[in-house]
Amino acid sequence: MSAIGRMWLVGLLSAALMVMVAAPLSAQSDEAFIQYRQKVMGSQGANMGAIGDILKHQLPLTENIAGHARNIEVTAGLIAAAFKKNISAGATDAKAAIWQNWDEFADMAKNTADKAAALAAAAQSGDMSRVGPAVKALGGTCGDCHKKFRKPKEESYKNK
Amino acid sequence: MLRCRVCLWACAGVVLCLLFVPGTLRAQGDVTRGGYLVQASGGCRCHTDTAQGAQPLAGGCGLKTPFGIFYSTNITPDRETGIGAWSDEDFLRAMREGLAPDGSHYFPVFPYGSFSGMTTADLLDIKAWLFAQPAVHQVNTPHAVWPPFGWRWTIGVWKRISLPYPRPVLPPAQAGDPQVRRGAYLVNAVAHCAECHTPRNLAGGLKAGWFMAGSADGPEGELAPNITPDAATGIGDWSAADLRWLMQTGFLPDGDDVQGLMAELIEHGYSKLTPEDMNAIVAYLQTIPPIENRVSKD
Repeated sequence: MSAIGRMWLVGLLSAALMVMVAAPLSAQSDEAFIQYRQKVMGSQGANMGAIGDILKHQLPLTENIAGHARNIEVTAGLIAAAFKKNISAGATDAKAAIWQNWDEFADMAKNTADKAAALAAAAQSGDMSRVGPAVKALGGTCGDCHKKFRKPKEESYKNK
Repeated sequence: MLRCRVCLWACAGVVLCLLFVPGTLRAQGDVTRGGYLVQASGGCRCHTDTAQGAQPLAGGCGLKTPFGIFYSTNITPDRETGIGAWSDEDFLRAMREGLAPDGSHYFPVFPYGSFSGMTTADLLDIKAWLFAQPAVHQVNTPHAVWPPFGWRWTIGVWKRISLPYPRPVLPPAQAGDPQVRRGAYLVNAVAHCAECHTPRNLAGGLKAGWFMAGSADGPEGELAPNITPDAATGIGDWSAADLRWLMQTGFLPDGDDVQGLMAELIEHGYSKLTPEDMNAIVAYLQTIPPIENRVSKD
């Protein structure tokens, strides 16, 4: 084989090698992003669950409600960045509608953060009569966003 | 003297009219109680096409079933397109027997199999509330159901083989408990939980022996979970507080929200129940037989 031919061969093999390596790296990134954002959303759910446990079981931990609400406020502020990469295929319940209606999705995440802050303030005040309505308002933001942007249970990847 | 006789006959006439003229002239139900019972039944959400922003109770909401799509009817008091011309008897017959004023059968997607367990007083209270709502002129959308399931006359046969719905008998220890009996009434009749949470047989009736064991083909194709007290596949590991919290907020014990049709029923209906009624529902659900049934779409 001539020198030019060898150069072409090396170039082609290098390009093929780069494609083979890059493809699985890209897939891993998608999976990694999915896992990350599920942890962000899981954190939201865990803190809502904790607030629910305190209230429904009347645990003597009402002073912790504000902390859980602030946690929700912080992680709600991370949602937009966590979902920035458009990934709706694979082991995810994220609907393609997120990236088709990005501004609305981002606004809903901000609304959750705002309602969580309001709950934290209500809990901090010590006036438990304000906490119930604030929990309901925060919970409403979860449902509103899920209704539009999260696959229903029947279509969940967990059900497959 | 003549004036007294005329007056007397007039009074007698009024009394006779009140006694014998059909139900619309009898004592009306309690609107406030009726509103509460509507909430306890889930808020009549099926009769409001919320997705299209339609008028409340005016119907037109498509309910997907294995037999086709049934469109809910206008139950506002519009006399032409709603139920405004219905007497009390018409209403009771519809809710208990699934019969329209003209004698035709209603498809059992209208859950009269459950509503038949309601008392006359409660049903008339609901009618009073419905008749106090704004009338909306909206013609009913024809159902899109495949034959023979769309043939109304077949429903007469269906009723004979499917009704009354099979339900477990209360254990003796609970049968005398007023709270459990109230819960049974709310669950089985008013809130009609079994219509979604019990799987159906090929004829569309509730499967005997599977009471509240969940369905992969619930209304609108949604998954309706197993709500028997089975620890592995039902809600047996839920506390009474978990059940009440779900009805109050729509949140599950793990902090996730319930989603779907149930979320709407809770928001517009069950969350408005009194604490006593929530406790009654919980008490009853804890008595029904546990059934192992993992519900999934697979």
